Amino acid sequence: MTEEKVITEDTTPLVIQQLRDKFGDGLLSDAEAKDGVVVVVKKDNLYPLLEYLKTDLAYSMLVDITAVDNSNLEEELIKYDYARFMVVYHLYTFEGETPRLRVKVPVNDQNLNVPSVINLWKGANWLERETYDMFGIEFDGHPNLTRILMPNEFDGHPLRKDYPLRGRGERERFNFDKQNA
Amino acid sequence: MGLDNNNIQSGVSTDQSDGNIITTTIDKVVNWGRKNSLWPMPFGTACCAIEMMATLASKYDLSRFGSEAIRFSPRQSDLLIVSGRISIKMMPVLKRIYDQMPDPKWVISMGACASCGGVFDTYTLIQGVDQFLPVDVYIPGCPPRPEDLIDAVMQVQRQIQKGELPKGVEAAP
Ligand code: SF4
Repeated sequence: MTEEKVITEDTTPLVIQQLRDKFGDGLLSDAEAKDGVVVVVKKDNLYPLLEYLKTDLAYSMLVDITAVDNSNLEEELIKYDYARFMVVYHLYTFEGETPRLRVKVPVNDQNLNVPSVINLWKGANWLERETYDMFGIEFDGHPNLTRILMPNEFDGHPLRKDYPLRGRGERERFNFDKQNA
Repeated sequence: MGLDNNNIQSGVSTDQSDGNIITTTIDKVVNWGRKNSLWPMPFGTACCAIEMMATLASKYDLSRFGSEAIRFSPRQSDLLIVSGRISIKMMPVLKRIYDQMPDPKWVISMGACASCGGVFDTYTLIQGVDQFLPVDVYIPGCPPRPEDLIDAVMQVQRQIQKGELPKGVEAAP
C-alpha cells in the first residue's frame, strides 16, 4: 500500500468520481496506485459495484480473484474493523484512462461469504474455486464450489497465515488408496 | 555382434564343425536383451522433464543405449523415469502408472525434487517418491545434466546385466 497517495480533487481519475457519485458511503476508501486505481468497498455493495463496473464502465475483463490474509498486518486490521481477509478483484478495461482497477472487500472471519460474480464474468468460476481452496472464502451462488488445486480430502486452507508451511502432516499420511478408488 | 566375452561369459567352441558356436546361459542372453532394450515410461512433471527431453533428442541421443522407444503407455514400458516434482495429488497417479507396468520394472528418480522434495519443503510436495515407490537409481542435481540421466540408465543396465533384481521385485514377498 505504500505507493498509494492522497488524491487531490482535480486529478482524481474519472472512474473514482463515478464510483463516489454512485456508491457514496459504500466505498470504504479509494486511492490511486502506481498501476491504476484501488477501491475498497463494503461487502453489501460489492456485487452492485462490480456489476456497475462491468456493464456501465466497460470493465469487461476479470483478470484475477484472490484474497489476502491480513492476520499479521495490525495496521490493515485496524483500518478495516478487524476483518481478517481482503478479497481482491483485478479488473481491466480496454477503454478509458484507468485500464487497471482493483476492488477489495474486507471479509470477516465470522462471515466468510461473498457473492459470486460468475453471472458477470464466466471466468470467475475457477478463480473463486481457487480462492475458496486456498483461503476458505465462500462464494454464494457458485455452482460448484469445490477444491481446485488441493485434493478433495484435504483439510484446511493452505494460504492462511495460521497454516504451517510444511503442512499438518498431510504429505506423510495422505490416503493414496482412497484417492485411487 | 555385441556378445563379447566379458559381458556374456560365453565360450567359443573351436572344433572342426563349420562356423563358430557360442555357449552361454539363457539368463545371460535374456538379461543382455533386456538391458539393451529398456523402454522408458517418462513421468515428467516439471523442469527436470526438459532435461529428459534433451537426453532423448538427437544431441545426447539415449537411443545409443537402446532406450529410444519412449512409451507413453505404462503397459509397454519397463523403466519409469520420475522427473520432476510430485505433489500429493499427483502421487496416486504415479503409483497407479507404476502398478500398471509389467514386471520386471525399474525406477529412476531424476532430480532433487523426485528424490527428496528438493527446495520445495512444503505442505503439498512428496518428500521423495521412494516413500511410495521402490527406486533403483537416484540422480542428484537440479536439474541433472543429460549425461547424468544417461549414466543412470547405464547404471540400470549394469544392474540388469549382473542379474540383480529390481528393487520392486526384492520388496515383493
Ligand atoms: S530438481 Fe530442480 S530441475 Fe528438477 S524438477 Fe526439481 S526444481 Fe525442477
